[in-house]
Amino acid sequence: MISVETKKRLDELVKRYPEKRSALIPILHDVQAEVGYLSPEAIAWVAAYLTLSPADVMSVASFYDMLHLEPVGKHMIYVCQNLTCSLLGAERLIRHLENRLGIRMGETTPDGLISLKRMECLASCGTAPAIQIDGVFYERVTPHKLDELLEKLRNGRLQGSRA
Amino acid sequence: MAFEKILTRYKDIPNYTGTIDEYIAHGGYQALPKALREFQPADLIETVKRSGLRGRGGAGFPCGVKWGFIPKDSPKAKYLVCNCDESEPGTFKDRMLIEEEPHQLIEGIIISSYAIGCRLAFIYCRGEFVYGAQVLERALREAYGRGFLGRNILGSGFDLDVYVHRGAGAYICGEETGLLESLEGKRGQPRMKPPFPAISGLYRSPTVVNNVETLSNIPHIVLRGADWYTSIGPPKSTGPRLFSVSGHVERPGNYELPMSVTLRELIFDHAGGVTNGRRLKAVIPGGSSAPVLTEQHLDVNMDFESLAAAGSMGGSGGVIVMDDTVCMVRVGEIVSRFYHHESCGQCTQCREGTAWLHKVLRRIEHGQGRKEDLDVLLDMCDNMKGKTICVLSDAAAMPIESYLKHFREEFEAHIRGRACPFEGKGAF
Amino acid sequence: MPTLKIDGVEVTVPAQTTIIEAAERVGIEIPRYCYHPGLSVVGQCRMCQVEVERMPKLAIACNTPVADGMVVSTRSPKVEKARRGVLEFYLLNHPLDCPICDKGGECPLQDYTLTYGPGESRSVEEKVQRVKHKMLGPHIVFDAERCILCTRCVRFCHEIPKTGELGVFSRSDQSEINLFPGKVLDNAYSGNVIDLCPVGALTSRQYRFRSRPWDLVRHTESVCPLCSNGCNIVLDVRHRQRGEELLRIRPRENQAVNRWWMCDEGRFTFTSLDDPARLRVPTWREDGPRVEMAYDDLLLRVARAIRRVVEGHGPEAVGCIASSRQTNEELFLVRRFFREILGTPHLDFRVRPVQFQASDASEDGILRRTDKTANTRGARDLDILPGAGGLDVAGMIAAASEGRLKALFVFEEDLVRAFPDRPLREALGRLDLLVASSMFSTETTALAHMVLPALGFAEKEGSFTNFQGRIQKIHRALTPHVASQSLPEALRELAVDLGRDLGGIEPEQVWAAIGERPGAYQGIAWKDIGHLGLLPEES
Repeated sequence: MISVETKKRLDELVKRYPEKRSALIPILHDVQAEVGYLSPEAIAWVAAYLTLSPADVMSVASFYDMLHLEPVGKHMIYVCQNLTCSLLGAERLIRHLENRLGIRMGETTPDGLISLKRMECLASCGTAPAIQIDGVFYERVTPHKLDELLEKLRNGRLQGSRA
Repeated sequence: MAFEKILTRYKDIPNYTGTIDEYIAHGGYQALPKALREFQPADLIETVKRSGLRGRGGAGFPCGVKWGFIPKDSPKAKYLVCNCDESEPGTFKDRMLIEEEPHQLIEGIIISSYAIGCRLAFIYCRGEFVYGAQVLERALREAYGRGFLGRNILGSGFDLDVYVHRGAGAYICGEETGLLESLEGKRGQPRMKPPFPAISGLYRSPTVVNNVETLSNIPHIVLRGADWYTSIGPPKSTGPRLFSVSGHVERPGNYELPMSVTLRELIFDHAGGVTNGRRLKAVIPGGSSAPVLTEQHLDVNMDFESLAAAGSMGGSGGVIVMDDTVCMVRVGEIVSRFYHHESCGQCTQCREGTAWLHKVLRRIEHGQGRKEDLDVLLDMCDNMKGKTICVLSDAAAMPIESYLKHFREEFEAHIRGRACPFEGKGAF
Repeated sequence: MPTLKIDGVEVTVPAQTTIIEAAERVGIEIPRYCYHPGLSVVGQCRMCQVEVERMPKLAIACNTPVADGMVVSTRSPKVEKARRGVLEFYLLNHPLDCPICDKGGECPLQDYTLTYGPGESRSVEEKVQRVKHKMLGPHIVFDAERCILCTRCVRFCHEIPKTGELGVFSRSDQSEINLFPGKVLDNAYSGNVIDLCPVGALTSRQYRFRSRPWDLVRHTESVCPLCSNGCNIVLDVRHRQRGEELLRIRPRENQAVNRWWMCDEGRFTFTSLDDPARLRVPTWREDGPRVEMAYDDLLLRVARAIRRVVEGHGPEAVGCIASSRQTNEELFLVRRFFREILGTPHLDFRVRPVQFQASDASEDGILRRTDKTANTRGARDLDILPGAGGLDVAGMIAAASEGRLKALFVFEEDLVRAFPDRPLREALGRLDLLVASSMFSTETTALAHMVLPALGFAEKEGSFTNFQGRIQKIHRALTPHVASQSLPEALRELAVDLGRDLGGIEPEQVWAAIGERPGAYQGIAWKDIGHLGLLPEES
């Protein structure tokens, strides 16, 4: 279920490590990027690839915030909810996003375009409040800036990849 | 007073983008040949020991001493792992270092690997640093291209490979053994110690885990000497430190200063003071795991010992400033929510305690606190400290204890008034 | 070897022994959940914390090796507060299921809480809700709310059967043990997680809601009869008005045989003991329908028939096929009756191909073995084999079909089923006398003149010898429902009817006789066989 190119890349990746199990999380990132999320089939594929039990791989994948075991939107918006960002208006941003998109944090828009997720400290406290869209930082964010970003996102004019 | 920038010297160079040529142009990759040609590995370890360099990740453990624990005569492969999992709330210096001056770190990694006999090193980079990982990958390719990595580096006979390894979102992977578990492809659950990583680390082999900033200091120590390094800052907390200042300050950002600087100087002289001319109410001096300090502590020096004596800790150097519009109960709720989310779940006290702390604080903040809650919170915190595999449990408990110590009346007001006094008008 | 003091008691143990192990040697049980001697150490539950002199923090006993001169306290005020704290944390989210939870009454969470824990809850928060009574597989029911995340079950599946079906998913207090979606917990050893689980999170489907532990009046030590490994077990019997009932089987620890484990087949397969289809009454068939008959009458008829055969054709016209399902004591008495009293050389037990090899083999590299009977080794050691000029099983069948064998006794084997490609029915049909013993009707018993109901393993006192040569006792846990007596009793009465004396049939007496003879068991007495069995070369 994984493309030939990706599998080739994974084969190279595994070679870096003295023990191939080390490649698991980088592999999960790659597979997630290709499949969209870590479905049971994707997990089973990775398990077979590394000769691990599917429960073992799912146990690892479910530990990490950036690995999604449920379907997520085409675009992922992370909003930091930690202390400095909260001091400087993170909850306001969250309410704004929820109102604009009609969904709560942790959900995906019905058209499958955008998922919202609360995250913890993203190491952007000096430029708080901070968010990430598809792995790209946007800092000193305001509701106004959010509207601009959402507009660009809908028009396909935002850089960033889900990898 | 202007402090001679060392780690952030590049900031004075206009249009600096951190490529290898720019790095070399301002003096980079001079320490590496010096280390390889003029030092035996054991000498390097001695030098770093004498420099007094302490870990900059949060624990403050003497770096050279840690290196010295690596058994010289073990037949096992040695590993160096750079901890770039920066996740301590309030801290954003490592991100800056890898995005803006990656070669300083890489040079530090190469020298450190040579010192401990490592031939394969990893940079464990938190998953959210997508751009940072890309910068590191580019920089590593550049370093390989110049022969600073790979086989027979600079003709010294020393081989080294370095790879970036991305995490996937878990604060606990910043704990060194949690990091190693994650690097081995498992859940990032910290290991029981002993054995310590120096004896049994990555793949059960001798391993050193060092923070980004710690390793970034190494080239400077090699180039300018341990004695020079000890001349910076107080004797037990030598060398420059990057303080990440954020919150209610005019000029949030990373500040490179000796640890003799006081909290007052840091906040008011360097970071421009409290925004909107408001009064400073509380400040966390070393990442959210550090107990809170108040106005009365502003003259504390920002070295490890002084901060510990003041009832807090140097920690990660993340300084969060809060003015008098801030509800400390809400701070407790947010901070406890973080630890609740980040507990790996192994140890009973942490798994259940971090959740319980959060629930109680949330209840108090929402006006449903009971008068018994505060003493229960304190006893809970006591039961969470010093009894678990790692110190996340302690890190969750100590801040709450400090909020209760310095702001108890605010908690009591929430309980008495069955509401948050700041509702609708505070910072949050 | 280091010597240390635990709660004032001195103990000397090998270096590398952990405090928790050292304490056990002097009868001090340090409370624990995640620690189990058969699994990897994870140090997660934090229950086994102890105070060690000169250590600033409490140490976990499961992962702290002893040192010479160490002074350990397992009940100091610091330890008791820490332990009470841990239990309080466990109880924060633990459901108040005790009244409906199978584990109640044999639950380490209940026990430790009563001994060390807080009496009342200080929490007013909502408990985390999770899935309850989920069938994880054919044998196991899972309740995620009760789970205390000790991870014994997860580690077990990874480390022993190495099937890794279970994992801990998510983290923090959202951690939950579960299966991969679509998978089932069905490895051959899944039942062991029931024993391992310190709470009622993993329970037996078979045993669910059937009893409380205090209603189990008997915990009889025995040995599993389903293969040559001879896993040591305990039979838990509940008193029931009209006779006891065997409700569950658990493994017994025997490091040399089965460590702490047993396979699911042995654990869950015992309902045959209670099966209404079991033969209860001896029967006789002679030119007509099968009839129930009084036991004494029946044995008289058999004795008469034997006499007729022996007088007419000699003892060589009588044969006996015994079974490796029988105990050593039954086999010894069978041999005495047929080889010595009757004087026939035709005696054998080898019905299965595996029994012709020197030894059977491991089936899965863990506990299960390819010989699915308990006592092949015992049968071999006791020489349940043809004497000089004697026929083996195949020979006896051929002799029967040719009319040279007139009387055949078949104990606990269904020959027709064992040899589907031979003309068994014709062969057995030619016999003047066919006596068969069995727990259930079989094709062989259908052909027999006399059918003797056999006892199940839980209804006998005796011993099996496992593949290692270890003699292990089985004890009677249940009074048999059968109207007839045991095989030794039948043989004794038969001998009397023939004017002979079989000798003592109690295990002690049988072993007195066994011990006198040269061979593998020479010099062994019944009392020499202890709880963990006896390897003759070690005695």
